[in-house]
Amino acid sequence: MRYHDPVVRALVFCSVIWALVGMAAGVYIAAELVWPTLDFGWPALSYGRLRALHTNAVIFGFGVSALMGTAFYSVQRTCHVPLALPRLAWFCAVAWQLGVAAGGASLLAGWTGGKEYAELEWPFDIAIAIVWVSFGVVFFLTIARRAVRPIYVSNWFYGALIIVIAMLHIVNSLAVPVTLSKSYSLFAGAQDAIVQWWYGHNAVGFLLTGGFLGMLYYFLPKQADRPIWSYRLSILAFWAFTYSYIWAGPHHLHYSAIPEWVQSLGMVMSLVLLAPSWATMVNGVMTVAGAWQKLKTDPALKFIVLSLAFYGLATFEGPMMSIRSVNVVSHFTDWTIGHVHSGALGWNAMITFGTFYFLVPRLVGAPLRSVRLANIHFWLALAGTMLYVLAMWGAGVSQGLLWLALDDIGELSFSFKDIMASMAPYYALRLVAGLLFFAGAVLMAANLWWTVRGRCTVAVAPPSVADAAGAMRGEA
Amino acid sequence: MRTLPSSWFPLGALFAPQCTFAELAAATPDPARILFKHILWLALAPAVFVFVGSSLFGWRLGAGEPLRLPQETLTLIAMGYFLALLVGLTSTAAVSRWMAATYGGRDALGAHLALVALVATPLVIASAVHLFPHVFVNVLALIPALLWSLYLLYAGLPTVLGTGPERGMLMASALVGCLLVGAVTLLCVSVALWASGIGPAIGV
Amino acid sequence: MDGLGLHRRLEANAGLLTFGILVVSAIGGLVQVLPSVFQDSLVAPAPATRPYPALQLIGRDVYIREGCSACHSQQVRPLLAEVRRYGPYSRAGESAYDRPFLWGSKRTGPDLHRIGGRYTDVWHRAHLMDPRSVVPNSIMPGYPWLERRAADADGDIMQRMRALRFLGHPYTDAEIDAAPAALAGATELDALIAYLQGLGASAGAPPR
Repeated sequence: MRYHDPVVRALVFCSVIWALVGMAAGVYIAAELVWPTLDFGWPALSYGRLRALHTNAVIFGFGVSALMGTAFYSVQRTCHVPLALPRLAWFCAVAWQLGVAAGGASLLAGWTGGKEYAELEWPFDIAIAIVWVSFGVVFFLTIARRAVRPIYVSNWFYGALIIVIAMLHIVNSLAVPVTLSKSYSLFAGAQDAIVQWWYGHNAVGFLLTGGFLGMLYYFLPKQADRPIWSYRLSILAFWAFTYSYIWAGPHHLHYSAIPEWVQSLGMVMSLVLLAPSWATMVNGVMTVAGAWQKLKTDPALKFIVLSLAFYGLATFEGPMMSIRSVNVVSHFTDWTIGHVHSGALGWNAMITFGTFYFLVPRLVGAPLRSVRLANIHFWLALAGTMLYVLAMWGAGVSQGLLWLALDDIGELSFSFKDIMASMAPYYALRLVAGLLFFAGAVLMAANLWWTVRGRCTVAVAPPSVADAAGAMRGEA
Repeated sequence: MRTLPSSWFPLGALFAPQCTFAELAAATPDPARILFKHILWLALAPAVFVFVGSSLFGWRLGAGEPLRLPQETLTLIAMGYFLALLVGLTSTAAVSRWMAATYGGRDALGAHLALVALVATPLVIASAVHLFPHVFVNVLALIPALLWSLYLLYAGLPTVLGTGPERGMLMASALVGCLLVGAVTLLCVSVALWASGIGPAIGV
Repeated sequence: MDGLGLHRRLEANAGLLTFGILVVSAIGGLVQVLPSVFQDSLVAPAPATRPYPALQLIGRDVYIREGCSACHSQQVRPLLAEVRRYGPYSRAGESAYDRPFLWGSKRTGPDLHRIGGRYTDVWHRAHLMDPRSVVPNSIMPGYPWLERRAADADGDIMQRMRALRFLGHPYTDAEIDAAPAALAGATELDALIAYLQGLGASAGAPPR
């Protein structure tokens, strides 16, 4: 009996490819905001279409492939059994890649439902639902067959990812098809807005936050080689997180035409959300702290620790920006873009990089080809993220204030055109930041490629039941 | 054994960082001395630059005419800036000392203050660009300085606080996290004050 | 049994854990989102709001296809400066026939909810073909291909209107039957301009 790791390796491979594709698209649209004629009059390169490809490739290509791969890897090891239904697992992995690739092409062709982060048209929505349910079947069946009694905390988060995203995706995608490439949302206007941001915010919540916390809860203790600092705190944080995240969506709709109580509740629950978010961060930091004797000079841990710092920033900044008197300035500006990227680059991408640097050498049983290259990657990623966040803070706060500025007689101080033109330097800076981050990702891809090239996936057997019981006592 | 770093150690960090780190590691600086001889001036300089620059030229936000504020408002802003920097620098040192126990660093407050002074120096020097208060020129000048400061933090912390490279790297990351949270708090508080009618007039 | 003991039982039972996650995460949606779905006042059209005529409907679908809402909001907030800049603030009923809603989340370009009538069709045509020909510093891309595609290139306008009627938009049989004729000879650029010029009409007051 062996763990089914080849499917993990395939998913990690695809995830890295999507990271490169998605980030390249991001750099390209950043360049289009500096040189707007870069689309050469070609529809597929037009900003509006390419942006959807960027977000879909990084979230659903890079992010979900990494989550699926690490979920398959860690669920086997925390349950001490190989994957249930390995063929279905392969189906998930392959169908997902084909779906993202075809979906990406369809976005460039102009097929879009027009809802942010849920742009793909109805045929893809159905395909996503099928693959997602299969993912759930493999994951929960593996848990059901586990050889140890407790279900480890990383699996709660992966489980929540699967369940909640299924719920959100299915409800938000409800639509009446017209043709293969066109449908109309079941919801209209203000209702559609509420449903969309219930989806949009919680896709961030349970995929980009919760899913990656699952990754953190498995790989951080593994790398630090010691159990999670506080078991109680992880229970508390998990349930508080699962309960309160769902409420926060309407902070995307402050000062809009949706009911006042929905906006206020969204703001209050966003502030409440800070507690479980930071509790998890404390749990992570304290797990690393004190593990000095076992700390390796592994570049992986650097990325994971830095990702916690940016996780702390993003989960603090979010609630702050949901306060109405801050949101009045920050909404519709590049500050939002900066906030998203402090999470996406600083937290999601960095923890994934760290995990890959840890995971890939173990999958093939060989050391990382170049630790030095990984260290350079670390600095490029840090500089890129900092620069990005600062450029967007500068741009966002300027936009927010200049748009609202009134002169002595109560007239608008600045025209929209002038304010937009004054953004050019920030956008140029953001392009540089994106290039730095992308260059780091290219180094990682090359480093990992040289590590795995020509090597087979190592076959690992689950421990015997007696060992398993001992291991789990240690973890709890 | 020397207990005092040389008076110009923050400048030394610009030219011979490794020597300065080693010098600080061997010293046990007096917190009050670091505070009054270095931190105070490091916090004061940018505020003075901003006052002089803004009263001479007015702030250029990139759109339309430069923004000219009355002298009283400028004085208030400069004082607020000075206080924010002073509180920021000392509280960073305090947070650093608080975290040091976890990461096995030194307990001496003087060492933490000295580290903060050292890390802040490139940014303070670059803040001379406030004399020409154009937002983008400022951003452009402060970013390389910031990267330099980050380098000093990551490279200097393990030596100065004696944490060793791995823990130093983790502690530096934790400090970066704290600083970012501090920055965003400052940003949000100013914006919220603005939105509630304190500062330049905006129509909300 | 204390809370921790209770949790040990929960985390030893995959079915119970799954069910727990589903219930706990659904509460927020049930309390906060579900009432809105059944709140009729949120979807009752404003007095001047009408379903989009065929040409504007195609224009709106072009707007969605090209991802215009990535950079343009259609949501004027009730703020002094914003009402000054754009016009009357947006109300729920004005979006009653918007599937999906296009309020947007980013203003790289200005809000468009009150754009109708502010510029001439000729200006829009020049601007959409080459934005820098009329706004020198603009960073908006041009959309020259819209002029080369017929508004009824997909030939499915009647299906679109029927699908919307199925969802409750009050199109008459006559309106649907006349739709292909209404699109005859028009390009997607014409359709998009018609849509833009119609934005703000539902505010009830003439655009500034």
